[in-house]
Amino acid sequence: MLELRGVRHRYGKRVVLDLEQFTVPRGAVVAVVGHNGAGKSTLLRLLALLETPTEGQILLNGVAVPRRASAALRRRVTLVEQRPMLFRGTVRENLEYGLRLRGIGRTAVTGIIGHMVEQLGLLPLLDRRRAELSDGEVQRVAVARALALRTDVLLLDEPASSADSAAAGALYRALAAERAARPVTVCVASHQLEDAYRWADDIRALADGRLSPVTPENLFRVDLPPGEGVKNVRVGGIEIAVMTERTGAAVLAVPPTDIFVSREPLASSARNVFKGRVTGMAIGRHGAGVHVRADMGADGGVELVASVTAEAARDLALAPGVSVVFSFKATAVQVF
Amino acid sequence: MDFLAEGFRRAWGLLIAGDSEVFGIAAVTLKVAIVATAISCAAGLPLGYFLATRRFWGRRAALTMVNTALAFPTVVVGLLLYGILSRRGPLGGLGWLYTWEAIVAGDVLLALPIAAALSAAAVQSVDPRVRRTAETLGAGPWRTAWTVAREARFALAAVITAAFGQVVAEIGAAMILGGNIRGSTRTLTTAVALYTSQGDFGMALALGLVLIVLALVVNIALQVLQGRGHA
Repeated sequence: MLELRGVRHRYGKRVVLDLEQFTVPRGAVVAVVGHNGAGKSTLLRLLALLETPTEGQILLNGVAVPRRASAALRRRVTLVEQRPMLFRGTVRENLEYGLRLRGIGRTAVTGIIGHMVEQLGLLPLLDRRRAELSDGEVQRVAVARALALRTDVLLLDEPASSADSAAAGALYRALAAERAARPVTVCVASHQLEDAYRWADDIRALADGRLSPVTPENLFRVDLPPGEGVKNVRVGGIEIAVMTERTGAAVLAVPPTDIFVSREPLASSARNVFKGRVTGMAIGRHGAGVHVRADMGADGGVELVASVTAEAARDLALAPGVSVVFSFKATAVQVF
Repeated sequence: MDFLAEGFRRAWGLLIAGDSEVFGIAAVTLKVAIVATAISCAAGLPLGYFLATRRFWGRRAALTMVNTALAFPTVVVGLLLYGILSRRGPLGGLGWLYTWEAIVAGDVLLALPIAAALSAAAVQSVDPRVRRTAETLGAGPWRTAWTVAREARFALAAVITAAFGQVVAEIGAAMILGGNIRGSTRTLTTAVALYTSQGDFGMALALGLVLIVLALVVNIALQVLQGRGHA
């Protein structure tokens, strides 16, 4: 289990991460979603023991990690960065790098590499150098290089961002096979919510370096007018009613579980009611993430993610393009 | 012009004949240069890596100091070391003054800042992901440093060449610390100065040509290395 406790991390004077507690349970797949600059990559670098938090502690299996983690400790965790780096040399040499550091014999190294190459379809690339690879191929090699090490914890920063759908499928299948073989703990940073819903046991959202109650699709930066009670705030062509006493710059968060999706308008107390259509769906083990977009002309509107059960999605015959009405209460909108 | 042409003719004759004095001086120069370059790089490259990669209090001041040392006049370094190595100096007991070891000591002081400052710049130019990747794949500090050095090897080879260039072309410290003793501490640069002042232009030119050939050989070796290390 990997845990951050009371972590506040700064670059210069800027606080880039502020987490009271962040836990990745043993054997679980946790997805971290958030916009660019939300702090996902910094979080993964801290979890990978590559950076020391300015304040707070990192715990690995309940034991506090010292400020300068030893190589032996770092060998239990490995990170694949969003834009991975391959060393000078061939793909084969890159795959061998971490295995040789661990003192694994030549025969065993050849066997492990053969297995990874087969799983991720890297055979034609083995003798190529990094300059001869596409971004997607570099990403696949980097994931294979990390998987080959069989570390307790695997951290993946946007692992499929440069991969086509077939390569992404191969990558996630390799990950699933690894999980089936042993209790590997995985933390994946992604801005693709569909991936998160499909593969993760738990989804955490980051916004401005803090854990957010909702996924990034439902976060809006706004300027709140003065006054009390219900305020109408314009967001991308629609007006959202929010109950708050705050004024000035703020972030509005609409929890996906507080959004009602229906085929017809409902008589209810909800102050926010929008007609729209389904723009995408991701059905996972915890229900369905339904992307709905308020219709405000050709380029207007706002996209939100609503969380519904798989049964509700089936009963309402929700599918991309279907017209829906979605609503949420002014008091459901969180302000922070 | 006759004077110059005559100088070249005599230089060519000395080189073709394998003049023992010319090649003796070249041998001393090469020995001093190789030893001084090896010592200054052995200390300067790790120092440069340390300055480039570690964050510590006073790092900026240390970098400024190393960069300032790049511009130290060779005669001043020679003079300071003369004081230290002279009989009454703190290291007088070593008996190094007017020996090739003293020239090496002076050259190391001059080449060390070059090796440290330029290697720090070379390491800083390496993508920071290289270091992170090595660490996340389980490399310890030494293996990480080696991996970063491999990525920066062309730049580091240029650092070694620059250090060698400084050592082989330096005259001030060699003159003061070595004393330009024939067959012992006479280097190519001090000999060129001596023979020019004596009016033996041909001998001076022959030695100058040897000096240029030495620099050329080192640069060709570097280019061959870069060619092999492509990609």
